[in-house]
Amino acid sequence: MTPPPPTTPDDERHPSAGSGIRETLAGRHLLVTGVTGFLGKVLVAFLLDRVPELGRIIVVVRGRGRQDPNARLRRILATSPAFRPLRERHGDGLPGWIDARLEVVAGDVAEPLLGLDPSTRRRLRGSLDAVVHVAGLTDFDPDPRQALRTNVLGTQHAADAAAELAGGRLLHVSTAFVVGRAEGLVPETLTPGRAPTGATFDVEEELADLAALCRRHELPSARLREARARAAALGWPNVYTYTKALAEHRLAVRRDLDPVIARPTIVECARHFPLPGWVEGINTSAPILWLLSGWLRALPSADRIHFDVVPVDDVVRGLVSLLAAQLREEAPRVAHLGTSASNPLRFDRALDLTGLAARRLVDAPERRGAARLARAVMRRLDAVPRPYDRASYGLPLVRRVARGLRRTLDELEPQEILPPAWYRRVGADLEARRKAWARECRDIDRLIGRVEEILRAYRPFTHDHDWVFRTDAVRALTDRLSPEDAATFGFRVDDLDWRSYWLDVQFPGVARWSWPLLEGRRAPVDPEPDWFRASSETRRTPAPPSRRLPGEAAE
Amino acid sequence: MASHRQGAAFLRVEGVLVRRPGWAAAAWLAGNAQEVGERLARVGNVLASLPFQNGPLGDARLAARVTWMGLRGMSEDRLVVLGEEYAERFLIPNLTDSGRRLLSAARGRGLRPVLVGTGIEAVLRPLATHLGVPDLLANRLELRDGRVTGRLLDPVLAGAALVDGARRLAEELDVDLAGSAGYGATGDDGLLLGAVGLPCAVRPDRRLRQVARDLAWPVVEE
Repeated sequence: MTPPPPTTPDDERHPSAGSGIRETLAGRHLLVTGVTGFLGKVLVAFLLDRVPELGRIIVVVRGRGRQDPNARLRRILATSPAFRPLRERHGDGLPGWIDARLEVVAGDVAEPLLGLDPSTRRRLRGSLDAVVHVAGLTDFDPDPRQALRTNVLGTQHAADAAAELAGGRLLHVSTAFVVGRAEGLVPETLTPGRAPTGATFDVEEELADLAALCRRHELPSARLREARARAAALGWPNVYTYTKALAEHRLAVRRDLDPVIARPTIVECARHFPLPGWVEGINTSAPILWLLSGWLRALPSADRIHFDVVPVDDVVRGLVSLLAAQLREEAPRVAHLGTSASNPLRFDRALDLTGLAARRLVDAPERRGAARLARAVMRRLDAVPRPYDRASYGLPLVRRVARGLRRTLDELEPQEILPPAWYRRVGADLEARRKAWARECRDIDRLIGRVEEILRAYRPFTHDHDWVFRTDAVRALTDRLSPEDAATFGFRVDDLDWRSYWLDVQFPGVARWSWPLLEGRRAPVDPEPDWFRASSETRRTPAPPSRRLPGEAAE
Repeated sequence: MASHRQGAAFLRVEGVLVRRPGWAAAAWLAGNAQEVGERLARVGNVLASLPFQNGPLGDARLAARVTWMGLRGMSEDRLVVLGEEYAERFLIPNLTDSGRRLLSAARGRGLRPVLVGTGIEAVLRPLATHLGVPDLLANRLELRDGRVTGRLLDPVLAGAALVDGARRLAEELDVDLAGSAGYGATGDDGLLLGAVGLPCAVRPDRRLRQVARDLAWPVVEE
């Protein structure tokens, strides 16, 4: 395998040494995967909004159901809050403005070369400056078959596309938690074939074994159980971090690539862009905050460990800085994008802030329907950290009680207990109540089961391990930016005021955009603009985003 | 020669603007500590200061110190957020009509309003912000590693120290005390009112009423 050629006609057209970010990106063509996901949306919207000098962004989109890729992206542009700033700026002129800058190509990261057809590849070859691979499965424990296809093979396909079409320049979005159980101060390094336990392993053999177990087991639960065991044996806490790590290890040994690996930490609500508080889907903190705003008050957590939350727009700024550096051939190989090294938020503080934010929620108008006593009690109970064994002691007991009650209610026969005259008077009502209470007990049982699963999945991150992710690489890039560029593209999380962010941005954000999904409802979308309604394209009702929690197993 | 410096209007929060004592805020904050199990002990700590608030054991500075010790260990986040909540729920809705009138009248006379309180900054600053008054003289709790130590920072503003604080602030703001007004409600406010050129007793307690009578200070009853 030969390295990419050192100079190309592109370098002559785009002299970028010592240039600012806009100058570096001016006229460049990028292929981006993952635009239908949370981070991908914000990245593309940000590039379009802040770097209008960019040449062209080509997004790889898979059709969904009967919705073709173009229609799917058009709906996103029309109604996703990620693109609200662009809609507000360009109004009815947005479609024309977008068409000059954004192109949709049909594809699928799970397919070789991203599923791009040969004519598309011919057209893009030689004109692409970089592939930005954002697509990935972010569930903690997805079906290993899907994780293998998307997280591992998807990355391979993006890398192949970069090698063939973009001179080997690939910006790959991974996760900081590929470090696995090796906690402490985490450097920005990658040692292929070295597991978090310190053991060496053969990446290709490991992948072959993973693929074999996926073929061997028909039941997803069986696949997941064995994949979790494999991951744990090597030091990864779940299938997500395991498969993202395998993808990185494979990238690192390729000689036809110039990859830059960005490792964001826990990506959460936007600080400013596209709008404060916006988040999509069910991210890491949403289930925890949701649980802690209800009756769960003790969270199994080690209070002094770091909760490395980073706003999505800060991640995007970091990605753009890395991209520009890559095009200038100045980029680091690996870069964390997180807050723990420079502006740490510890878990005890996050819980305290959550309790304070939840107090406001109790008094919110939409909650006033709840019983006064319930509200008064909930306002006075704050979330507290507890050791794992103490935190969960209440749940199994409540679950046992709920199951016992349900059994009793199911077996209860009012007709056999009550005198006939009484049964004639109240029997029907009692039967109805008996069934309703039994259903409620069943719902409580299921809810607690879900809560226990969430707590189990989160345990490595809230209780068992503590990581501080160094961010020297992206901070060094920021330090070299001009003041103007730093203001727009700098990775500056030192100025993140956690109290203000948590109370005014993060908590309200997840409550508005994520909790509806946890509660079986849809997240709000923006109203369709006139230009979209007037469009002659067939519109399909989009499938709702996944309601599976990060810690819940695939079905 | 007449001073051309602006005068100020020193308004006591406790007693003039609101009728809640300062220790009530401390008790409420203590009762809303994060750990439910600690709340009773913390509130008890605050209540232990009551004997020193007035009467034969009255020692304003000691009372202030004991009052706020009950918040030891509370996070700065909790202090700030609950301070705002306390002001929003209990102070702002219960601003006295006379207090509002006096503030408005002071502004009308070109006096620079200054709120003076023996409570803490975290509770009184939101009140001051609501009233549009940037200048506040209040106690501050010591913080270490993001948590309250339970100590009030020196000087503890109570009794005579309150007057010293007012004098220092007046110097900083380049305010003429002789041309300034003062509004107080309790005997402890007598020193503050005596330091300004335009004192006024507002719904005074027995001690301050006697002083006002003796020195012919105006008295506002409602």
